[in-house]
Amino acid sequence: MRFKIFFSRFVPYLLLIVVTLPIIIGYVWILISTFSTRTYGLLPVDKAGRPGGWTLSNWSFLSKPEIWMVTSNTFILASGLTIGVVVVSMMAGYALSRIKFPGRKAFLSLTLILHAFPTVTLLIAIYFVLRWISVIPVLGRGLPIIGGFGYNTLGGVILVSLALQLPLGIWLMKGFFDNVSWDMERAALIDGCSRFRTWREVMVPQIRPGIAALSIFSFIQGWGSFIIPYSYMVNANRATIATYLNNLLSETAPTNYSMVAAVGLFQLLPVLVFYIFTQKYLLSIFAGGVKGAA
Amino acid sequence: MTEKTTGGGGKYDWFWFLLPALILVVIFFFLPIIITFFISGTNMSTATGFQNWKWIGLKNYQRISSHPETLEHLWLTVKYVAFTLVFFNLGMSLVIALLTTHISRGVGFLFRAVWLLPRITPVVVYVMMWRFIAADAPYGILNQIIIKPLGLKTANWLPMAPFLFIVLVNGFIGASFGMILFSSAIESIPKDLMMASLVDGSSYLQRIRYLIIPHLRWPLLFVTTFQTLSLMTSFEQILVLTDGAYNTEVWALWAYHKALSTYSGNLQWGFGTALAAILVTIGIVMAVIYMRYFKFEELVQEPKIETQ
Amino acid sequence: MKVDIVNLTKKFGGIIAVDSINLDIKDGEFVAFLGPSGCGKTTTLLMIAGIYKPTDGDILFDGKRVNNFPPKDRDIGMVFQSYALYPHMSVFQNLTYPLLIKKRPREEMKKEAQRVADMMGIGHLLKRRPGQLSGGQQQRVALGRALIKKPRLLLFDEPLSNLDARLRISMRGEIKKLQKDLGITSIYVTHDQIEALTMADRIAVIKDGVLQAYTDPEDLHDRPKTLFIAEFIGNPPMNLFDVEIKSEAGRVYANLGNGARLAIPESRKLKKLVEGKVKMGIRPQDIHAGSEDGISTEIALVEPMGRDDLIVSKVGNAEVHFLVDPIMKLRMGDRIKLRFDMEKSQFFDIKTELSLLWD
Repeated sequence: MRFKIFFSRFVPYLLLIVVTLPIIIGYVWILISTFSTRTYGLLPVDKAGRPGGWTLSNWSFLSKPEIWMVTSNTFILASGLTIGVVVVSMMAGYALSRIKFPGRKAFLSLTLILHAFPTVTLLIAIYFVLRWISVIPVLGRGLPIIGGFGYNTLGGVILVSLALQLPLGIWLMKGFFDNVSWDMERAALIDGCSRFRTWREVMVPQIRPGIAALSIFSFIQGWGSFIIPYSYMVNANRATIATYLNNLLSETAPTNYSMVAAVGLFQLLPVLVFYIFTQKYLLSIFAGGVKGAA
Repeated sequence: MTEKTTGGGGKYDWFWFLLPALILVVIFFFLPIIITFFISGTNMSTATGFQNWKWIGLKNYQRISSHPETLEHLWLTVKYVAFTLVFFNLGMSLVIALLTTHISRGVGFLFRAVWLLPRITPVVVYVMMWRFIAADAPYGILNQIIIKPLGLKTANWLPMAPFLFIVLVNGFIGASFGMILFSSAIESIPKDLMMASLVDGSSYLQRIRYLIIPHLRWPLLFVTTFQTLSLMTSFEQILVLTDGAYNTEVWALWAYHKALSTYSGNLQWGFGTALAAILVTIGIVMAVIYMRYFKFEELVQEPKIETQ
Repeated sequence: MKVDIVNLTKKFGGIIAVDSINLDIKDGEFVAFLGPSGCGKTTTLLMIAGIYKPTDGDILFDGKRVNNFPPKDRDIGMVFQSYALYPHMSVFQNLTYPLLIKKRPREEMKKEAQRVADMMGIGHLLKRRPGQLSGGQQQRVALGRALIKKPRLLLFDEPLSNLDARLRISMRGEIKKLQKDLGITSIYVTHDQIEALTMADRIAVIKDGVLQAYTDPEDLHDRPKTLFIAEFIGNPPMNLFDVEIKSEAGRVYANLGNGARLAIPESRKLKKLVEGKVKMGIRPQDIHAGSEDGISTEIALVEPMGRDDLIVSKVGNAEVHFLVDPIMKLRMGDRIKLRFDMEKSQFFDIKTELSLLWD
């Protein structure tokens, strides 16, 4: 009997630990490896294979100018994506949630269809769209910082990432707006606001948790995004941290994985920090993004 | 008091609110869908350039049906979707949801948080971890922790078991989707019901069978359909892990390689978009079916302000 | 401001929420819209506010058709049941928001905020957030916000329903006094008949989107035009019996069954003398117990209500409710005699539910 209680108590924990082990090991490895010369499994070793070999030399990549270029690119990509997704989604989500207009139902259905639609299948065709945008003067490839919105520009990558993230963003923001009191919005209209001003000054402040969640989510997405910059930036190792890391990874033998791991941790760190401190918000996205369905 | 409104308010407010989204959706959803189908009817490639291509009708689709690799990619895709879905997106996610809702709330939450890590980790970093897990002795974790202690022959496991690894890599990301849906569904089962079944003296396994699983019917169906579609079209992780080597080129990756991979030299845009067009068609059809089947429309409330 | 509502109709999909209502509200008048929830009274108010668009009919402010005016051009103030304060703004910002939108100078905003806040007794709360205030304080802020731009029409949507009973009574008086002092035309939506009866100059009773009556409180109470009004107005509710009207030797009687009958006085002469079944109504306070003569009855139930005891007993086939002084110490099973003050009785057609006395 005693054994049975013990069994039913601890077996769930044991099972959970076993199935979760690969994830935990992956993260533990990246932490150890970053600060060791080499690792045999999870064991840090020196060049001769003896245990030990703790070092900071893997972080020497921080002195290379490329890393700061790709970091700044990645940061611009993530920030641009975040601002774009949040603003555009807040506007469209508000209209879909709160304004009566012809075709509203059709727009809502469309948002949902696009939400379910697998966007990666469009990557090939979007390549052509970007080539065309490139031809447009100034907008194509003549802007400062982001380069423009065409092929092989940071702006193009931001725009594509933004567009593909929109259905989720709009649906999410619509859901948050749905829950704001109608009386408050009516009060604003009676107080004399236009619809635009009501949106900006009264409605948007009410959905701050939603905005925070979508911002964090978008930033993490942009920060880690790989396939879009990889597809539309010509010089992959000079584009974003992800493409830079991928390049390193394909060129490096397991012997020197520790150096690659350091770059990986460099990219992972902000995400982890965000995740630890904003889990509550993020979960509301993962739950909310599918809540419409559940 | 004038009929004209001031300060930007007006009958077409909704249009201005929707405009930015509308432009982006047209440029990056509608246009690409049209382009996909259009180019799939041409022989466009790096060789023809954007000028000298010809309209060839359904020839690309005929080529797909007679292509020696078609069956290979199709079979791999089916196998990959089926295994990942059954063992991870459904199986593993259900197991984790059941276990984490069974144990203490805080610890359960912690485990679910850990399972969300693969989803938020930058994809290249995440794949790097798996590559090191699979790496050859004496470095690789699998070799060090399991293979060596058992006295088996060490190897670089990625080329040895490529299919296993593409399933694992995607599965550990995919499991969290179902996990969230299932665990919130389990937690929403009325406590009275759970209590009643405890009083009835049913074991935990009986409760799963007769109480929890019936409650999960809807989320199970939703996860199955939604994840089938996203697995069928996903290729990012595989691209980073093997880039299609060792027989891991699923249909979506095949299309991507044909149309955009710079390695092959001649980009076959026509043929590549034809491969993608098949996925796009499946995607559109299934997305529309979801919307009808899962009755999203019922979630739509009417605006309670009609003024302009 | 004078408000006219002409044939006002609102449909949601196929459902008629407001059915061709006609009303006129005089300048400075305090009108209550009274009815059970879902009767269309709030929908009517929101159409007057410009939040909903009428399906049919017109709304006239001082004779001018305002159907297509957005709310901001209607010169109105509104107070909501949920207060609808902006939680991210301080009380001061909430109060002055209408002035901010009108781009009034900062000095004026300060002065007006102080004036309105003092009037509402919330001068010491200006720096707080709505979340830090009690329900009563929040409602005062909401009222202040509605008043600050000196609107020509004030709209109230069940403003007191979320307050506790004691506060409700004191706010009732305050709002009424304020309205009279400022002389602003006001429309007050409520499902609470006591609020309507105590506050309003005139009451519009609405049921299922149809206007049942539009008159002053006394008339509504003493001369109900429909069975619905008779049932809905008055507390405790009016007794209603199925009676048979019979003329006998020049006098008219209402037959309660089982031999009990009541003589109908000359003052309650029915419009059409119907021989047959009608509904008779009489308020509990118009049935007097303990007289020498009258109809004998046995007490079935005693409900102490504080000032009075509500007694339930049987007369004929019908259950009768009436009030007695607790001093009488009546108990279940006691027998007493009841005198019906038939000068106060009401009669309704069973089919049309319209009064047989008033039109």
